[in-house]
Amino acid sequence: MNAAQRQPAEMKYEPLLQFEMEMGTFLSDWQHCDQLSTYMARMISHNRTDPLRHSNFFSSALNELLEVSFRGGSPEGRIGCAVYRQGPKERVKLSFPCPPGHQQFFREAVARTHRNDAYARYLDALSSDLGPSREVVLLDLAINFDAEIRLEEEAPPSITIIVDLPLEGIVS
Amino acid sequence: MLAAPFQAEFDANSQEFSFAGVIRPRSVDEIAHSISMFRNAIDEARGVLYINVKRLAQMNNTAFHAFSRVVLDACRTRSDIRFVVVTSSVVGWTERMFRHLGKIEPQIRVEVYDSKFYPGQSFVEDTSFIPILRTQTKMTWRHERKILPRHGMRPGIVMADICCGIGDFAVLVRKEFQPARIVALDHSKASLAYARDVAKNFGISDIEYSYGDASEMLLEDNQFDLVTCRHSLQIFNQPDLLLKELYRICKPGGRVYITNEKNSHCLGEPRAQSIQWTYNEVAKLFSHFEMDVELGPKSRRYLADAGFDDILVESFMVTNHDGDPQDFADVITAWENVYAGEMAVKRGDPAEFIERFRQGFRDHIFAALHPKGYAGWPIWAASGRKPL
Repeated sequence: MNAAQRQPAEMKYEPLLQFEMEMGTFLSDWQHCDQLSTYMARMISHNRTDPLRHSNFFSSALNELLEVSFRGGSPEGRIGCAVYRQGPKERVKLSFPCPPGHQQFFREAVARTHRNDAYARYLDALSSDLGPSREVVLLDLAINFDAEIRLEEEAPPSITIIVDLPLEGIVS
Repeated sequence: MLAAPFQAEFDANSQEFSFAGVIRPRSVDEIAHSISMFRNAIDEARGVLYINVKRLAQMNNTAFHAFSRVVLDACRTRSDIRFVVVTSSVVGWTERMFRHLGKIEPQIRVEVYDSKFYPGQSFVEDTSFIPILRTQTKMTWRHERKILPRHGMRPGIVMADICCGIGDFAVLVRKEFQPARIVALDHSKASLAYARDVAKNFGISDIEYSYGDASEMLLEDNQFDLVTCRHSLQIFNQPDLLLKELYRICKPGGRVYITNEKNSHCLGEPRAQSIQWTYNEVAKLFSHFEMDVELGPKSRRYLADAGFDDILVESFMVTNHDGDPQDFADVITAWENVYAGEMAVKRGDPAEFIERFRQGFRDHIFAALHPKGYAGWPIWAASGRKPL
């Protein structure tokens, strides 16, 4: 049973917006992360209580996820990103191809966001001399954006990260 | 969000290093120059170094980690220095992200800058003031609805109402002129909550109410056909700074519309002298709190200095004959309560002064309600075009 199947029955998430593109095209320009996150944030936030601030928050979170796929993705295949809404939460579903073995890495990184020592690990990472790893980015989302993160298993080489962001409650 | 590339600046006089804009580098190398500047600023600083991230719209983890490292390293090598990170309640993620630094090093303190933008804001944020704000808008709207088209208001435009207060002007504009989009921004959460509640009750879902600092907005450059900012420059201690932001978000060829008062010109008959004395004192009282309620006729200068052309200035007089004289009287009563009851007391005025001060308001009400009386409240409406 994978993580998705273990989730309890939940209210339906309504689809809001999605994009799909060749991974090679996505990887051709770093600015795609900023541009896509800014655009998608603006689009999906327009009917939130405070559209401007919601967009700012959402863009920040989505950009980190896209940067993860940019740094860890492989050029063959397609990247897809869909945003859904359920009440005060947005769900980001990001699928992208990654090199063999990376699924296990992501599985462990996601699991660490749920552990009791997540905050201590995050502070340790900030104090360390190394740059932010993909694990730290996921911890950042869990700690600073109250994100719930899980993986949806797919046949290699693709990976799907699902991030639930309760930003409406944080912003308003 | 801010479209401009990010800025990193050091002000040696105030020992403040500021980050602004969007900082999303792929690698640390791309921000090496800024990191070096930051290190130099720390080397130069003595005592406290302020790190201002109030206008930092976005910063990715790569940049956050790199700049954090510099601060954390400095804490470990220099026990003589402290850091104060100034975040903004408007850009919520900065507060959440930077607060961790204080948990790692006690030499780092994180402060949220959110309540000192307008020296006068606390005086008008009280929810008991809301009915009066609504009455004021009702009274001024009778005039503004006629003059707004001369200042760039027309159907289908994209507009922003900055310092929107309780949002009633945006609702009236939406109904009368049908703009394509309205963003309404204010720094009072209480006023915005009221505005959203009213909009919801009226089934209005297309006004984008947003919490923000008018002097440092998250809104992008050059995006609005018309930017309105009513009765706000006069209660802001740096009106030129606010106007600079209004200019920034206005499209080239678009207009910025401002209204302001000249309180000493409030008038009434009978009992003109008492009324005039009190309103002269109102101007002095506001000046004490760094607000210029005499700003109205200075609008042309402010707009010109901010870079606008095709400046149009006009004035109108709200009077007791515009509608129900009791509305006018109610507004004056509210002014008396705030100005004489709260502000004068806070300034430390003696009881005899306050009593005379109050009398002028009462005489203004007397004039407003007198069957042969006349009471006026003059307002200057001005706009300028942002050059193409």
